[in-house]
Amino acid sequence: MTFRQARYDEPLIWEIREPAGTDPVELEGVPAGLRRKAPLAWPELSELELARHFTRLSQMNFGIETAFYPLGSCTMKYNPRVAELLARRDALLGAHPAQPEETVQGLLELLYELEGALGKITGLPHVSLQIAAGAHGEFIALLMTRAYFEERGETERTEVLLPDTAHGTNPASASMAGFTPRELATDRGLIRARALREELGPRTAAFMLTNPNTAGLFEEEILEIADEVHQAGAILYYDGANLNGILGKTHPGKMGFDVAHLNLHKTFGTPHGGGGPGDGALCAGERLAPYLPVPRIKREGDRFRWDYDFPRSIGKVKTAFGNVGLLVRAYVFLLAHGESGLTAVTERAVLNANYLARRLGELLPRPFSPLVKHEFLLSGAPLKERGVRTLDLAKRLLDEGVHAPTVYFPALVEEALMVEPPETESKRELDLFFEAFRRSVQDTPENLHAAPQNLSVGRVDEVKAARELLLSWKDLRRRSSPAPEG
Amino acid sequence: MVRWIPDPERENPQLLAALGLTGTDELFRDIPAAARVGPLGLPGPLEEPEVISAVDRLLEKNQPRKGLDSFLGSGLYDRPSPAVVDGILQRSEFYTSYTQYQAEASQGMLQALFEFQSLWVELTGMEVANSSLYDGDTALGEALLMARRLREGRYFLVPQSLRWERKSILSNYARGPGARLKEIPQDSRTGRLDLGFLEREARNDCFGVLVEYPDSWGLLQEDLPRLRGILGDVPWVVSADPLALTVLDPPGKWGADLVVGEGQGFGIPPSYGGPLLGLMAARRRDLRHLPGRLVGATTDPTGRRAFTLTLQTREQHIRRSKATSNICTNQALMTLAFLGYASAMGPRTLARMAGAMTARAHELARRLGTLPGLVAPRFSAPFLYEVPVEVSALAVKDFLRGLLSRGILGGVPLYDPRPGSPPPFFPGYMAAVGPATSGRSLDRYAAAAQEVLQDREGG
Ligand SMILES: Cc1ncc(COP(=O)(O)O)c(C=O)c1O
Repeated sequence: MTFRQARYDEPLIWEIREPAGTDPVELEGVPAGLRRKAPLAWPELSELELARHFTRLSQMNFGIETAFYPLGSCTMKYNPRVAELLARRDALLGAHPAQPEETVQGLLELLYELEGALGKITGLPHVSLQIAAGAHGEFIALLMTRAYFEERGETERTEVLLPDTAHGTNPASASMAGFTPRELATDRGLIRARALREELGPRTAAFMLTNPNTAGLFEEEILEIADEVHQAGAILYYDGANLNGILGKTHPGKMGFDVAHLNLHKTFGTPHGGGGPGDGALCAGERLAPYLPVPRIKREGDRFRWDYDFPRSIGKVKTAFGNVGLLVRAYVFLLAHGESGLTAVTERAVLNANYLARRLGELLPRPFSPLVKHEFLLSGAPLKERGVRTLDLAKRLLDEGVHAPTVYFPALVEEALMVEPPETESKRELDLFFEAFRRSVQDTPENLHAAPQNLSVGRVDEVKAARELLLSWKDLRRRSSPAPEG
Repeated sequence: MVRWIPDPERENPQLLAALGLTGTDELFRDIPAAARVGPLGLPGPLEEPEVISAVDRLLEKNQPRKGLDSFLGSGLYDRPSPAVVDGILQRSEFYTSYTQYQAEASQGMLQALFEFQSLWVELTGMEVANSSLYDGDTALGEALLMARRLREGRYFLVPQSLRWERKSILSNYARGPGARLKEIPQDSRTGRLDLGFLEREARNDCFGVLVEYPDSWGLLQEDLPRLRGILGDVPWVVSADPLALTVLDPPGKWGADLVVGEGQGFGIPPSYGGPLLGLMAARRRDLRHLPGRLVGATTDPTGRRAFTLTLQTREQHIRRSKATSNICTNQALMTLAFLGYASAMGPRTLARMAGAMTARAHELARRLGTLPGLVAPRFSAPFLYEVPVEVSALAVKDFLRGLLSRGILGGVPLYDPRPGSPPPFFPGYMAAVGPATSGRSLDRYAAAAQEVLQDREGG
């Protein structure tokens, strides 16, 4: 164990400097009753203080460029530097969304091209980029589904079905859109068309499915599933979080899905930003296309404009047109790979996953089928005999200088670990991870419980955090919690 | 082709061999033949220099902003940001990381998010803030849903001035609970909210009230300090501009329940409308209803201060269908821009800037207001750095087009561009003044406006 993370006693900005206070300012036409009276308690730092503060904080943070980051379901692949470079061009950064279309023809063309490519990749040709992230796409597509059934007078369709392997955003989006979500049990990680048929009915609005699913398995009965859903008159929704496992092999359109969201921050290599921003896309087939948000880009000869003339559209769903800065990065990813490159992405991602699954399978049991797509599950249940939990293993892996896999999801596997080694990881990195994993699994329970020890802090007391709820500098000052040492 | 996949020619066969396979096809045998796709019809791969020239070729088709004076705003602003801010965003430890599920490996980002929450709490005068939503408009949508969790009812009251986009987005967020928007009339001369209406309707099957600060017409409501008394215990949502809060009393002081906003103006370039930053602050008593992630302070086993995501039982990955929101990926990185910009500029500089912009906006209103065919400001209520301008002489679209041909991006029109939409309250647009708006650019604006109006008279 040679890894050591930086460990600074880095103060909060309020502890670096006292707040400067505010001087009275001239505020033309604003009555005294509205003007700020209490000065803002907020420090102003010199540029060097600021740069040093954030540099130190960054050194206490794992990113993809710091560490192997096999976080399952999140597709933590390399974020190409050239995309960062191009996303900082003035022509993009300076463009205001209210600029007349004739002044932003280049950007419109880029977005149009991106929509076209995503339409081909998904087989669902009608695309909106006004989507902030995956969950937002789910919510919007379900609102479109509502509009569709309302128009048809099928208002009794109030239920959204999903497998028990579904990501938490799926049921949450269904509730938010006013549906009642109902989770279906899977059989060895898979949905069976016959069993699904029993659950579908005149109340079903949609069935939401991720394929490959969150167990890393391809839903082999997908064509039968699509038939059943359509025979019941419902919408088949594709959660595109796992598109990295099927690029160029199959696509949601061919599988029979009516609508799909994409997480471009996963499959198309745009950065995850410490939790966001991501960038989404919603791709629809003929059934739901009329309801997509406005505006949509229209090409007229070699000119492009925003088209608002979609009378059945649900309207607007987010400020402006989407996370355009990220969409440009996704476009860069697409251009660089081209069609053959996208297939190569999936082939390598799936190869990496199966290789690592085979190796890690020597250390912990793997539920379900041995053949996986781009990610796989392990169960940490056998560790319990030694009084060790998956959580301990995850913390112990951090000590090796690698990020932990996703843990405790999906819930149907006891003590689950979900591992995703994207295509940008080399065989050497996978072998090193295997060694780190082996050392971790085989370490003593004492060490596993004490982990992590090589990071900027030891195991964080989450229970205390939830009890004390110190959520701001004000709370800290009020409760005069322990100041940083040193 | 770029080399982002490590040496596939040599490594793929090694990996296959370790699996006892001869080709990758065997890895996809679980995909039924009838679901397989042929060629997608995408172009071939490009080398990095080709990618750069392809993207640059497209971007060069945009009209360069250099030659244009911009008065575009309406919630999104082009304000110069110190270079040190982008330096923070370029730290790959931040931008290539994901959500802080492993707190010990993510202390840097967690501390920054904690500082950001602290800042939004400070600006709004509220008690708690989450660590970002997608943008100001969806934050408003989430506020509507949260208000609905706090109180039963059918109607959410919104100001008549509310931009059409916000109304449309809000209506979509209202669909789930079957809620309806109802407009609070505003006085056609002063722009003041109808308090009698508010008092009546707040008690009439209403679960929340929105006031913007300033509103979509740029106006400040002088009655804000008395609103709590009028609304009783109906959840009160304020949508506030962060820069305005450096010079105005915070909504928390008057008893607002939720304060949302768009954080883009703080260190985030307009970038054709995204990525943005949705802000939300609330009262502590409502914490369990709050959407989005929260960072809290705690300790490690040695008593060392540490940070972690907390109250995750509100969130979709734990609570699933009963979560307070479906949000997962948020806008975390943009909070670093907000925090970096705010700390680099400091509250004194920002307040002075807001004051200077306000003076300049009043100057612009005076200059445009003297031209026959324009009314500026359209209302008598106080305003800051954004002026409501009514165009009576010709169509707003044609007026703005005339300005553009003279090198002026004059403002953001108020009409809803969807065919068949009702006309806006007044035919006009919003002209925003920025920190870089000079006296000379006001001269150019006034001269151009005069020309467009005269051309109109002539022909
Ligand atoms: C399977 C699955 N579905 C949906 C989502 C939600 O996507 P986002 O985080 O972009 O909102 C995720 C993200 O983690 C996911 O893994």
